[in-house]
Parts: sequence; structure tokens; C-alpha cells
Amino acid sequence: MANHIKLSHMSHWKTIPYKQIDNFRDYYYEDKSNSCYYEDWDRILRYHKATGYDGIELAPWDLPEILGLFKTPAEYTAFAADHGIEVSGMFHGCDDSHIAEKHGEVVAAGRSAVDTLKAFGGRHLNTCPGNNYYGNGPLDAEGLKNIASCLNEIGEYAEGNGIKLGIHNEFFCVTNKENHRQLIELTDPRCVHYCLDTAQVVLMGDDVIDFYETYKDRICTFHWKDTADLGVADEIRYAKDVEICDDGHRWFWEPGEGCLPMVELWKRVAAHGFKGWVTVEDDGAPDYLAAMALSSYYMKQVLGKIYW
Amino acid sequence: MRYAFSLEVVDLDNQAPNRNRRESRYFWDEMNHLVSAGGFHRVEVPYEPKWDFGGRSGIPRSMRSVTTKFGTVANYMAYLKDNGIEAIDCVHLNPSLFCMGGMPMFFGAAGHYGEEAIAFAKEAGCKVVTLSVTPPYSKVQGILGDADEKGFLEGVKELVNKLAAEAKKAGVTLCLKNEFWGLLRGEKITEFLGRVDGDVKLDADTANLQIAGADVKDVIRANRDRIGVVHFTDTNFADNDETWKSALPEFPANRATRVFTDLGMGCVDFPAILSLLKEIGYDGPVVLNPRNSTDICRSILRAGYFADTVVKE
Repeated sequence: MANHIKLSHMSHWKTIPYKQIDNFRDYYYEDKSNSCYYEDWDRILRYHKATGYDGIELAPWDLPEILGLFKTPAEYTAFAADHGIEVSGMFHGCDDSHIAEKHGEVVAAGRSAVDTLKAFGGRHLNTCPGNNYYGNGPLDAEGLKNIASCLNEIGEYAEGNGIKLGIHNEFFCVTNKENHRQLIELTDPRCVHYCLDTAQVVLMGDDVIDFYETYKDRICTFHWKDTADLGVADEIRYAKDVEICDDGHRWFWEPGEGCLPMVELWKRVAAHGFKGWVTVEDDGAPDYLAAMALSSYYMKQVLGKIYW
Repeated sequence: MRYAFSLEVVDLDNQAPNRNRRESRYFWDEMNHLVSAGGFHRVEVPYEPKWDFGGRSGIPRSMRSVTTKFGTVANYMAYLKDNGIEAIDCVHLNPSLFCMGGMPMFFGAAGHYGEEAIAFAKEAGCKVVTLSVTPPYSKVQGILGDADEKGFLEGVKELVNKLAAEAKKAGVTLCLKNEFWGLLRGEKITEFLGRVDGDVKLDADTANLQIAGADVKDVIRANRDRIGVVHFTDTNFADNDETWKSALPEFPANRATRVFTDLGMGCVDFPAILSLLKEIGYDGPVVLNPRNSTDICRSILRAGYFADTVVKE
């Protein structure tokens, strides 16, 4: 019987500067360090497959270098397919979407992201709805409506191109604890879906189980990750540059290494019969290869025994 | 000779184990101690607005980052002094990040951040700003549109002259770095210097000149009165198949290698270059740059050993 779940990994590897290193042994001997294990797409994709992933979610900030190495999205997609990996989706940010005068620009950028993702063969455009809270919040009703309007227009274009736009609300985003559910209500359920980032909603101070039960019909995919910070204070979430902490504190952990009720949530996912991509996001991990393996083990050996 | 150490030793762009630590302030706090312990108390700061866009202000490589974490550049300098670093001898701006979307975008952003880098240098008491004079060849081809390389270089000339005027007002010397992957690689920089403001100087970067096929000593001799900063960079790389034209020239596609080595691990003839610099009476800053290290602590210590032996006064 075919699985219901396909496991993907969000690409937080920074620039991978080589397509394929053929002189691996010689290169290793240059400085006899492990750096050469993390410098070519050939090996990075092998690691994905070897650790149990079926897909990769692209980061748009990596595209100039990816296209420099592969020339076209199709060539990258074919190379990944040769390694048994599909492009599941891509992240996108709707900066300035709360500003009415920027509507056209924001929608054009969103459509362009849809086109790019389609060219890579991906399905999920996981979209941060707006800027950071700092410098932009709190939003008034008009600002929130402007964001919804941008998402609706991009979502409609995405749907027409076989792409699912999923709202991905960062805990430091201008749409936040007080209005992120309201934003969902303002968007068109036919074309604006939700990418549930399990850690981000909890960091914002929401209840992930209640959130899932309320919006399970809107959820098209997941960013599955853990956190040990349940409800971060307003003065932290709304401060400047909070994503990276000065002291190295991590907001995110591999599934099972934090405090989220992952098993309980997964049982709800199973009961609802979710089918599709679940993407592990290991941002902030010091060793992505270890994090990928650790996360995959938890997803398949702990959660997978409940539902897969 | 006054040696400074380049913080370009830390690669933020490319994947490496434990790379994520490099985005937090605690990493940079400790970097000052490591550099100081390696025997260096003067540094070069790569000016990288790239990190502004992601709110990575723990990385002290822009005016925004420094003022976010320290309030003012003066406070930052006082903090550096308290942590073993006496001065910033050079600020390096590489505006290649903005080489996208067309020439107006590139020149607009390069001009804006060039002025910002100069303002940062002035406030930091740094006398030298060096500008990567062109982005990599392949990136330039991507923004030419209907223009040609000659037209692009006219834009570069305008940019350099504009920044030179800003630098003069700030009491800073503007220098030009010509990486081996740029349009003005190797000896081509000499002719270009003749076409821009006379106060603009050369950044003599040893490995970049050598890889581009130039005789490093000849370039220094040809520009003996126009050298504003020297970068000691080392390499074993010979560009035999036009890697400089490729998309990521620091990572040769046909044969993976470390293009820039730690100091003393390559084949640049530093004793001869040092001797020539003394002969022509060069008395400006010399920046030791083991760029994009795979082992930062080791590179700092190797550079310290290099300074104490190979290029010891």
C-alpha cells in the first residue's frame, strides 16, 4: 500500500558551491577536513535519500547560485530526480504586503515565485505573509486586509498553475499572535492554504493542537519542527532582529528534541487522514547531516508507527 | 610593515559544518580574542550589507549591524579595543551581491553601499576603503542587457569617481581590488587606474594578481606611487581553463580545490614581494587574508606564524 506521507527537508544549507565533486579524494587530501563533504549537490542530495527523504524544499536566496551551476530549473530537477529526490516546494516572503501602494509589486513578485517553483516541478509555495513585526507592527485593519488581498491574488495565480500557496507565519512576523488567525479568515480558502510550522505557531503563543483542529481543512503541508520555547514574550517577538540570538540560543530543535506534543498532534493528523508532503525544517542546527538523520528517525520510527 | 588580519577568514556564504554559529554575536565576540591571541591587533572588515536583509545584526559587517548592537561606531571601536583589537586598517566592499536585475540596480546599490562603507570607515577611524572594482565576469554578463563590457566599465568609472569624491571628503583613501574573476583582472587594472580620479589607489592583492596571470612584482612596480593597501593572499591555483569566467570561480567546476590557501601554504613569492615593497618605500597597511578558511583558528595561527617567519621584518 502506498504511503500517505512524503517526507521532505527544507534546504537551509547555505550556498553549495559545486554541482558534483569528481576528485573527492584529492580534494579531501588538500586539508584533510570534513568540509568537502558539504560542498556539492551530488552528495547533499545523496544524504537526503540516504536519510529517508523523498524531497527537498528550496530556499529562494539560493537560486542565483543553483542556476549558476545548473543553468535551468529543469536541469536541477532532473539531477535531483537521478538521486531519487523531488522538489517539494519553495519558500517565499511577501515583504511590504501590508502597504497598499506596494500591492502590484508584491503580487508580481509572488507570481514570479510561482513561475519559478513550477519550473522546478514543486508544489508548495510556503509563504511568509509579511515583514517582521519590528518596524511594521502593530498592523491596523487596513494593513491586514492588504496582506490578505495580496495572498488571495497570488494564491489564485498559484492554484491556476497547480501550486498550493500556504501561509507560513514566522513568530516574529508582522501578522502575529493577535491577528494571524484573523488573517487566515480574511483569505480565500479555495486558493490560500496553510503551511503549519509546528514550532512557529507555538513560539507565537498559540496552541498547536487547537490550531490544527481549527484549521485542518486549510492545511496543505507542514514544516515539522520542535521548540523548547512555549510562547515567547511580546517584547522579544516584536524586537529587532530576533530570529538569530546573540548568545546562540536556538528557537528550533529537531522533532523530539524540544517540548511540543508531537505524538498527540500526529494522531490528529492521522485521524484527519492528511496526505502529502511533510517537510522537516532544521534551521539553526549546527550539523545539518546529523539533524537530517535525527529528524528522519523520529518522523519514521516514532510518528511513522502511528501513521505514514 | 604594519600587518592587519582580515576577518574575511570567516566564510558566511558557503556551507560548512557549524556555520550557523557565525550568525550570532557570541561568535564574533570570541573572534576578537582569537585574532588577538594570534598576534594581530588590527583588522580588515569585509563590509557586507547582505546580512542586513535577513536581520543578522550579530554579524558586525555593516553600519546597520554595528549600530544595532553597539549604538554607534565609536562604541564599537571602544568595544574592539577592550577586546584586543586596536584598529580597523581596511574596509572591503564587494558589491557583487547587487549584480542582478540590470545595470541601474547594480550601480545604484553599489553607490549607496559604497558611500555607507566610506561613512563607516570614517567613523571607525579607518583610512582605507577597498572596492572590488567589478563583480565576477559571469555575473556581469547577466546584467549587461543591451550594453557591452565597455559600457559597463564606463559605469564602473563613474561609480569609482563618485566614491572617490566621497572618500576625499571623509579623509579616506579609496582603493580598487581586482579579483581574478573580474573584468579588470591582472594587469588590466593599471590602465583603468589611469582613467579615474588620481587619488584612487590600487589594492595589490597577491594571489588574485597571480591567478589572473600577472607578474605581481611588475604590477606593483607599475603602480609604485598608487598603492593604497596590500593584501597578502596565497594560492596554488593555476587557472588553465578559464575558471575565472565560470559562475562560481572560487570553486573550479572541473576540479574542486581551495583556490585561496592559508598563508604560507601556497606558492606566492612573499619574500620577493616584501623586498620590493620595501624598495619602493611602501609604508601603508598590509592585510593578511586567509580568505574563507575551513578551519578558522588554524588559519589565524598559521597567519601568525607566517608573519613571524616568512614576512618578518
